[in-house]
Amino acid sequence: MTTRSPESALSRLTRFVGAENLSLIIALILLVLAVSSQTEFLFSSRNLFNIGQNMAVVGLIAVGMTLVIVSNGLDISVGSIAGCASVVCALIVTGSGSVPGGLAGGIAIGAVLGLVNALIINYLRVNAVVATLATMSAFRGIAFLIAPDGRPVGVLDPTFALLGSGRFLQTGSFPGIPIAFTILVGVAIVGSFVMSSTVFGRSIYSMGGNPAAARLAGINLNRMRLWIYAISGALSGLAGVIVTARTSSGQPASGTQGLELEAITAVFLGGALLAGGKGTIVGSMLAVLLLAVLSNGMNLLGIPTFYQLVAKGLLLVLAVAIGQWRMATAEKRQAKLAASGGA
Amino acid sequence: MKNNILDIKAVGKSFPGVRALQNLSMAVAPGEVVAFVGENGAGKSTLLKILSGDYQLDQGQILLDGVEVSHASPLAARNAGFRLVRQEPEIVPDISVAENIFVGEYPSRSFGRVDFTAMRAEVTDLLQRYGFADLIDISATGRSLSPAQMHVVEIMRALKPGVKVVAFDEPTSSLTSDEVARLFDLIRKLKSEGLGIIYVSHRLQEVMAISDRVIVLKDGQQTSNLVTADTTEDEIVRLMVGRELIHGFKREETTRDEVVLEVEGLSSRWHRDISFKIRAGEILGFAGLVGAGRTELAKVIFGEYRRNGGEVKLLGRDSDIRSPAEAIRANIGFAPENRKAEGLILVRSVIENAAMAVYSRLARWGVLRTGQMVEAVGPVIRQLEVKTPSLSQEVGKLSGGNQQKVVLARWLAAGPRLLILDEPTRAVDVGAKAEIYRLIDRLAKDGMAIMLVSSEMPELMALSDRIVVMQDGRLSPPIEKQDATEEAIVALALGAGVAA
Repeated sequence: MTTRSPESALSRLTRFVGAENLSLIIALILLVLAVSSQTEFLFSSRNLFNIGQNMAVVGLIAVGMTLVIVSNGLDISVGSIAGCASVVCALIVTGSGSVPGGLAGGIAIGAVLGLVNALIINYLRVNAVVATLATMSAFRGIAFLIAPDGRPVGVLDPTFALLGSGRFLQTGSFPGIPIAFTILVGVAIVGSFVMSSTVFGRSIYSMGGNPAAARLAGINLNRMRLWIYAISGALSGLAGVIVTARTSSGQPASGTQGLELEAITAVFLGGALLAGGKGTIVGSMLAVLLLAVLSNGMNLLGIPTFYQLVAKGLLLVLAVAIGQWRMATAEKRQAKLAASGGA
Repeated sequence: MKNNILDIKAVGKSFPGVRALQNLSMAVAPGEVVAFVGENGAGKSTLLKILSGDYQLDQGQILLDGVEVSHASPLAARNAGFRLVRQEPEIVPDISVAENIFVGEYPSRSFGRVDFTAMRAEVTDLLQRYGFADLIDISATGRSLSPAQMHVVEIMRALKPGVKVVAFDEPTSSLTSDEVARLFDLIRKLKSEGLGIIYVSHRLQEVMAISDRVIVLKDGQQTSNLVTADTTEDEIVRLMVGRELIHGFKREETTRDEVVLEVEGLSSRWHRDISFKIRAGEILGFAGLVGAGRTELAKVIFGEYRRNGGEVKLLGRDSDIRSPAEAIRANIGFAPENRKAEGLILVRSVIENAAMAVYSRLARWGVLRTGQMVEAVGPVIRQLEVKTPSLSQEVGKLSGGNQQKVVLARWLAAGPRLLILDEPTRAVDVGAKAEIYRLIDRLAKDGMAIMLVSSEMPELMALSDRIVVMQDGRLSPPIEKQDATEEAIVALALGAGVAA
């Protein structure tokens, strides 16, 4: 062990938060400053409530997507899974009147569809991108097929609606904290613990960083994948349930389309690498917040949706490019080190 | 004096921690066949890769027919007239033989159309000129070719116009004796055309039959430059080996009675009828050429590759291990040869890499506690003197020797009964090497059974209690340490009938 030179306050902070997370926080602060200089609405409690509520759906999916991407996989079917779950949950709630039943049903169908993804990847040896691109289409089709006549299923249960628009601590002018956001915070905390402190989570990092080495160290890659995609599916299912509750209807498509893009962007922006083995739930959540503020800010500033779509696409490229650039510079530094230290 | 067609002057090349070539000088005259021989890692492949432009040399100069090509790119080296016939040719499966021969250099007509007529004519011409026309159909697809036919395609690629020097890298490994004879006819024809020829092979009989001169490489240096007619196979073997043993490293005999691993009649895709035993405290060395099947055997025993037949007994009991996870549960450890590809997760920390194989043992209800991970792994890391600023350092940022120590730390933490080490000191510097030897020695002393696969003779001789030699998927009977000589082992590995 070498002795450590005294650290500056900044470098200590960097180490505590992590360099990737710190740059996200800085980007977030800059973004907030930029938007709030143009409009005073950003900090209105009504608007903050909206941001929290909007984050919940993408955030839940991004938690699962973090597991998938760190394991060196990808799941493009999450939006379609959420669509299926939305319809299934609406059918259960309207059919049986049971809110817990609808919630459980939505999560369960998500987990099952996630398992289907993993089975295709494991046993038909289709790579994750192609497999979930295929199921993205297939699951969306299934969502329309199970919705009677392919139309949205109305849900008029006030208890169930709380999942989408309920709140705590509402007083006078303070609109309260959205229940959906609270669910996200809970899931993110559990997810973060699983990733950092359990055998399962650490094994995800190992298999993502080097599948061959992970296998030779005794990790069963196929079994890991079953769990990872099932969890991603289950969380997408939960996101679908929340969409249902917010819109008071089981939606086969509306409200769940394009979620895959936002979740994948968030995970890469949050510090995950294309090559796998790196990424944290905390990073992904910071990125989800950043994206939510960005999209909210663009709405407040009246930027048309079409521009927003272009911006979202650019952002995904940017997020991955930053990761690739970080890897390349780290490798270069390493090569230099080896050259100077070598024979 | 005749002008040389290829002049290599004082060429040197280093990789981190290894001097692959040092001050190598040699020349090839037109119409001359120069053979390169040497053990694994002696520097033959490095030299070929420098000549073909895959690697760039650090020192020295290379002249091809009087033109400097020291820093040529692969394409420039090819255009200058140096052609390498690779041991394992790259064949594109779904295009024809003619296209495979011209791939990357298709003759073209106007509007960028490929001139198939010209291409076929030229290929037919090449095949006829060198006597392979009956062996191969130019419109057959790459996928349908036999290994020998693939080799013909690779040779034809080399002989396209502009060729001055051809290097054959282990050209006969996929050929039958009849095909070898035809290859030799070809080489004689190329000689008569005044080309320079480099012939790299482990097969000394062939070297004796076809070459004019033999250059023996050892540890990246040229040890001798012999006229083939004036030497013998025995002399070449002697020159290839004969290094000093790792200075001062001596092991005590620590073998105990208990048999840890017993393999009886094992067969697999690569192996036929393999039998051996390793006792507690014993180091069994596996010698052989690269590609003889030693790494594959290690992986068969570790459950990564399938076993087709035979019995494997662990501690006297039949075992049927089908995956690495099962092998680890059965108390087997495996440190693979290529630590970057198969051993380590480079983007993860030292502690994670070291603790990976024992995660489930360290956890309760699936939850890992950092404290216990540090307790389990910390002492091992310190004991191995891994030079790292902290346990949370990314492994990819450590030096090669320290990376290898992290792989070993993983298995030390796991404490297996049988440890399989595949090239444990590959690309490790000398200092770290000695430390790794001491560690392996101590593990054996503590009663671990060790299967040591190594291509470094001095390493095998210094560490092993007994040595077995693998040649082409078969295993020799064990040679006791005191009876083992490098000459005998090299002869067995080459499959040559050289007397020990």
